Amino acid sequence: MATAEQEQIGEFLLDEKTLREIETMKGAGQWSIVWRRIRKDKMGMLGLYIVLFLILMAFASWILLGFDNWLTHQGALLGDPSNPASLNNLYVELWLPGMPADSPLVLFQHPRHHFPELAKLPPSFEHPFGTDGVGHDMVSRIFFGATVSLALGFIGQMTTVIIGTFLGSIAGFYGGIIDEVLQRVIEILYSMPGFILMIFIIVLFEDVKIPGGRYAVVVIFFSLIGWGGTALIVRSNFFSLKHQDFVEAERALGASDMRIIFKHILPNSLAPLIIIVTLGIANTIFLFAALAFFGFGDPNAVSWGDDLNKWQNDLLYYPWMPMFPALFIFFTVLGFNLLGDALRDALDPRLKD
Amino acid sequence: MSLKGFIIRRTIYIIPVMLGITLMNFTLINVSPGDPVIVRLGLIQCDRDDCYNLAYNTEAIEMGLLDRDLYTVPWFNRYISFVNDLLHFDLGDSWYYTQAGEGIPISQIISERAVYTIVLNVLSFFFSLLLATAIGVVSATRQNSFWDRSLTFAMLLGYSMPLFWLAKLLMLLSFQLFNFTGVANKDAFKKPLFLNPNFYKYLILPTLALTLGGLVFMARLVRSQLLEILRQDYITTAKAKGLDNRAVIYKHAFRNGLLPIVTIIGNSLPGLLAGSVMIESVFGWPGLGTVFLEGALFRDYPMMMATNTIFPLLFLVARLLTDITYVFIDPRIKY
Repeated sequence: MATAEQEQIGEFLLDEKTLREIETMKGAGQWSIVWRRIRKDKMGMLGLYIVLFLILMAFASWILLGFDNWLTHQGALLGDPSNPASLNNLYVELWLPGMPADSPLVLFQHPRHHFPELAKLPPSFEHPFGTDGVGHDMVSRIFFGATVSLALGFIGQMTTVIIGTFLGSIAGFYGGIIDEVLQRVIEILYSMPGFILMIFIIVLFEDVKIPGGRYAVVVIFFSLIGWGGTALIVRSNFFSLKHQDFVEAERALGASDMRIIFKHILPNSLAPLIIIVTLGIANTIFLFAALAFFGFGDPNAVSWGDDLNKWQNDLLYYPWMPMFPALFIFFTVLGFNLLGDALRDALDPRLKD
Repeated sequence: MSLKGFIIRRTIYIIPVMLGITLMNFTLINVSPGDPVIVRLGLIQCDRDDCYNLAYNTEAIEMGLLDRDLYTVPWFNRYISFVNDLLHFDLGDSWYYTQAGEGIPISQIISERAVYTIVLNVLSFFFSLLLATAIGVVSATRQNSFWDRSLTFAMLLGYSMPLFWLAKLLMLLSFQLFNFTGVANKDAFKKPLFLNPNFYKYLILPTLALTLGGLVFMARLVRSQLLEILRQDYITTAKAKGLDNRAVIYKHAFRNGLLPIVTIIGNSLPGLLAGSVMIESVFGWPGLGTVFLEGALFRDYPMMMATNTIFPLLFLVARLLTDITYVFIDPRIKY
């Protein structure tokens, strides 16, 4: 008997909650369903907010630092970029109504601008995160360090995923000898602990001069050796999808292999890829921070990992100096992990605990 | 096929992978810019060019890059002789670790230092497995309770914390509480090692850090595996039979959950090894990880080559053991 609370569908008896869920999902696309699921997940939303905040911070600092000449010319920043002695030079300042025009509230200093007389100050109102051993303001270092720290994670992870997806789909679609060779290569790459292999490569290739400096070399090699996991997952997805009816139908219509791979099978493997990217960014940021921490980063770069490396030995007596970069690495990794877990639950509810 | 045949087959399988790994390392060293001979010579004092050239040539001949008639040795021959040396356990002499002006043989350094890494890793692996099981069982059997939520949250925090920073925080905490940083010094390693109380004192913090690092990773796994299994029908059957909870969890659920856990732990060993390198370096623990990191910082090519061969080998052996454990855990597996 069908009542208001219960409804018989086939032989399944559905309770009110499931019915309501079906009602709201009716007519909604896959992505709006996913978005609804994420919105219900409190931890996932927290992760999303952290990630959004960090991305905004990275973009803002990139624009401020990368276009400071142009911004000064437009009148958005005060000071004279060509004159390092200028007091207002390359600061981000805030004038509140009623504040004297010549002593604004300094929000961020230029990350390379340091004052030896201000070294090793503990956190205070002027320097909320304190100052480091040579007199940089830690807030500014962290704000401007976000660009490199996040960009490395994003670019590194995106390139591995693109390479892995491409190789994995070719291997999964054609199988045979290509698949065999790819599997052996992945086997070899997988047997090497990534951290140790990266150190080996960085030491060997630290003299390479390419635009972008040392971190460009690191990212290139990271993407060359890190694609194995993605390729395996994409490959197994292709194996399970390539004999499905919709692929056969497309083939009967005379579609080329490339069209079938990239227009039909790949979009169906999008969900695992999104999860790999989100969780992978966390791991990549962690890996680059670890490399920098042990002295294999670029000491001239402004990034959280390199600041951590510089001040790690001051932890016992000046704890704020390494603490804040580490805290931000932690928050970044946490944010991406939370978001990745939520996305995994939302995209593939079967995996949910 | 017999169990013995399976083990032999899997052992032989390691050989081509190891060949691939050594070939990759070898190629990387060869395509890298910069001349290893110049790196090796460092800042040599020479007034004239021919003095430098002589030193260069002697060094290059010694390293096997040039033959006696100063012709370049083809890379293929060098690779063959490298593998040949490797098969004789001859890993060459270190450039950085020297004694009386001569490099110490790397096989000697490794056999001396391996014991520290093994003690640290075995201890913390054992503790983290034990604790992870306990935490996983507690979380999974009381799903969504206060304990489950707080443990899961703590695991998530630990999972997002960089391991080296966790070690540093432990160091800070111990310094504040006991005025003891845990950074190993000379008197921790006086022989006989296992009768030396200082050795154990300095072992505490690295073990704790490494245990936490492995724990946060494994506890998540144990929890999700157990939850998956507790939903199965045979668990309901076991409960309906009137078995007590303990028997249901340990006899029915846990044994079946073991297999995927063993797989994932076996596959994550490179990560655990890397973690051990980090912890050793933070606490100045003189194991293989510290040797490797210091060698890398001072561009000790033979040492890097050696560690980059040994770590994958350890990993492959561990995976072989994982595969063999499978057969014992799960009678369904056909080999």
